[in-house]
Amino acid sequence: MSESIVRYSSRSRARAIKSFLSNLLGHAGAQLGLLCLVFFLVLSAVPNILVGPLETVATATGDFLVPPSSQHLLGTDEVGRDVLNLVVHGARISLTIALLATVISLVVGTTVGIIAGYYGGRVDVWLMRLTDFFFVMPSFVLALVITPVVLEVMGRGREILGFRPSLFVILVVIGITSWAFVARIVRSQTLSLKERTFIDRARVVGSSNLSIMVRHILPNLVPQIAANGALVVAGAIYVETSLSFLGLGDPLQPSWGTLLSLAQRAGAASTGAWWYLGAPGLCALAVSLSFVLVGNALDDTFNPRQRVIP
Amino acid sequence: MPDTSDILSLESLKVHFPIQGGLFDRVLGRSAGAVRAADGVDLNIGRGEIVALVGESGSGKTTVGRVITKLAQPTGGRLLFEGRDMTSAKGFSALRPYRRRVQMIFQDAYQALNPRHTVFDSVAEPLRSLRLVKNHAQLTERVSEALSAAGLNPPGDFFARFPHELSGGQRQRVVIAGALAVKPELIVADEPVSMLDVSIRAQILQVLVDLRAKHNMALLFITHDLPLAWLIADRIAVLYLGRLVEIGSADDITFNPRHPYTVALRNATPQIRSDASRFELPALQGEVPSAARVPKGCRFHPRCPLAFDRCKEEEPPAIEVGPQHMSACWLPTSGAKAELSTPNLKSADHGSV
Ligand SMILES: Nc1ncnc2c1ncn2[C@@H]1O[C@H](COP(=O)(O)OP(=O)(O)OP(=O)(O)O)[C@@H](O)[C@H]1O
Ligand code: SF4
Ligand SMILES: [Mg+2]
Repeated sequence: MSESIVRYSSRSRARAIKSFLSNLLGHAGAQLGLLCLVFFLVLSAVPNILVGPLETVATATGDFLVPPSSQHLLGTDEVGRDVLNLVVHGARISLTIALLATVISLVVGTTVGIIAGYYGGRVDVWLMRLTDFFFVMPSFVLALVITPVVLEVMGRGREILGFRPSLFVILVVIGITSWAFVARIVRSQTLSLKERTFIDRARVVGSSNLSIMVRHILPNLVPQIAANGALVVAGAIYVETSLSFLGLGDPLQPSWGTLLSLAQRAGAASTGAWWYLGAPGLCALAVSLSFVLVGNALDDTFNPRQRVIP
Repeated sequence: MPDTSDILSLESLKVHFPIQGGLFDRVLGRSAGAVRAADGVDLNIGRGEIVALVGESGSGKTTVGRVITKLAQPTGGRLLFEGRDMTSAKGFSALRPYRRRVQMIFQDAYQALNPRHTVFDSVAEPLRSLRLVKNHAQLTERVSEALSAAGLNPPGDFFARFPHELSGGQRQRVVIAGALAVKPELIVADEPVSMLDVSIRAQILQVLVDLRAKHNMALLFITHDLPLAWLIADRIAVLYLGRLVEIGSADDITFNPRHPYTVALRNATPQIRSDASRFELPALQGEVPSAARVPKGCRFHPRCPLAFDRCKEEEPPAIEVGPQHMSACWLPTSGAKAELSTPNLKSADHGSV
């Protein structure tokens, strides 16, 4: 009998996943977005194979600020480093920071949102006050406050989880400032879910509050979390780029924002070195736009399903 | 006198939902009143007994059921299970022994099942959370057993299905299977067949009746349908605006009702109108009044064609009108029986169903 269980459930899961994918890929936006994301994920997965190790001032191969040529497809920067090399390595830094920050934000936001919505009352009031506080907190100010503390505690040269301290700060700051958005959405969805009869039934059959939150409410939040998670990534890339552009990045692990900042300081705009500004800028734009496209397509795909399975 | 064979008793149970007043009321510290969903319900259910709770929409049937299943907290009165006071029991671990013995079936089975759980998970949930099984083999066995008893055969075919892959009747059977998987002693069934096709109703009712026959399981059957109540129940309790107006054996309530409201209910049901009825009444006039504004005196008096002065002032207590038959109406004692033969009432009869 257990064999038939496995057979049935894998078959019906496979069917559900297939219909979900075909719905999702029906969106032109999703196709474009996913294509773009796959491209950048490949770049960030194997940068060394594609463009060799990250170039430094010492290993720079070209002249200063050379426009794109067959030798340097995206030109060079002010110390002669290949911009293509920098941008491909930057993809890895930017995407990793954005994705990890999103994980922090989704975990914190979902936990706070479910607890506030499920318990209601005073718990809800206080958690939502906290959420509002973080919702309006400007990430730049927070970064300015946290950076010196972390640098002081950790020391400038150390790495935390493979990140230089300033990147770690950016990661944490984005996580801290973006979970409130997730918490609000999760809370409002939880408020409506907990009125559903299956929650009453779960109580009658003796399920604990924790088990109701984890086994009944959370699985029904997956659509919202997935769709908004994609938007959070887009926002994280944007914030990471701006924080790095403002000089909070680390030149030894340059993200796209750091490259923009370096280009700005090298006077790329005034000297007409468009490739130096344009390459990282367009990449950041393309990736966050792709995540928005995928997020919207996910939202669209999940919504009619919500109508079918209320 | 408490009956020791009763599995459950409600003693003047009250559930009042406070009405959120406007800002003005709150500033003045004025209470905006309350919705009296249940307003002094006395009800006993014996072991293995099927009691039907009948009433119009909004009369408080679901509220009473939710109190019994500990989904709602009463604001007054007591809930006794085997004589033990369960009124203030709270928290899932304190309630675990109670949940093993009292289960519920819901009106809308589609809503009562988590759309993301398989049939197996839904039926296994009570067994897991109430710690009734030791290992997976035992769990599978109990789930199969419950699905079979609820009429889903062969059970293995349903394990991996999701609610949207089942018919309405099958979904209700899954909910029933979940409830009876724990082998409870009392099941509260809140309009379990009202959303189902007529053809499926009889089968589902049969499952419930069989449970009593096989396991001596008591059942509180909530319905707005008097003939259905008569069909399934040993006793019928009639609820009006949060209070029982009449309670007695299914036959007495259906064929020999004493309370004017029960008579009106019965008269609204052509199948069981008979000449043998004690008195004729015109069909009920007007809407059910809101539970937020319960009339003074007998709560039925604004709609009662037999109301007289006393009804507007004093609330009638439950009065014994026969063996095991109580009616909350002034008529049988106040000598108002004479009014039954008044010509204006008889002539009003053409207004009935
Ligand atoms: N949580 C609540 N808050 C406020 N009022 C409530 C609440 N639940 C029920 N009520 C009110 O209590 C009264 C009784 O409701 P209840 O659902 O028990 O009636 P019912 O007899 O089950 O009706 P139906 O046949 O329509 O299911 C109604 O007036 C309803 O509006
Ligand atoms: S007490 Fe009076 S108003 Fe109430 S049901 Fe009896 S006759 Fe009607
Ligand atoms: Mg109801």
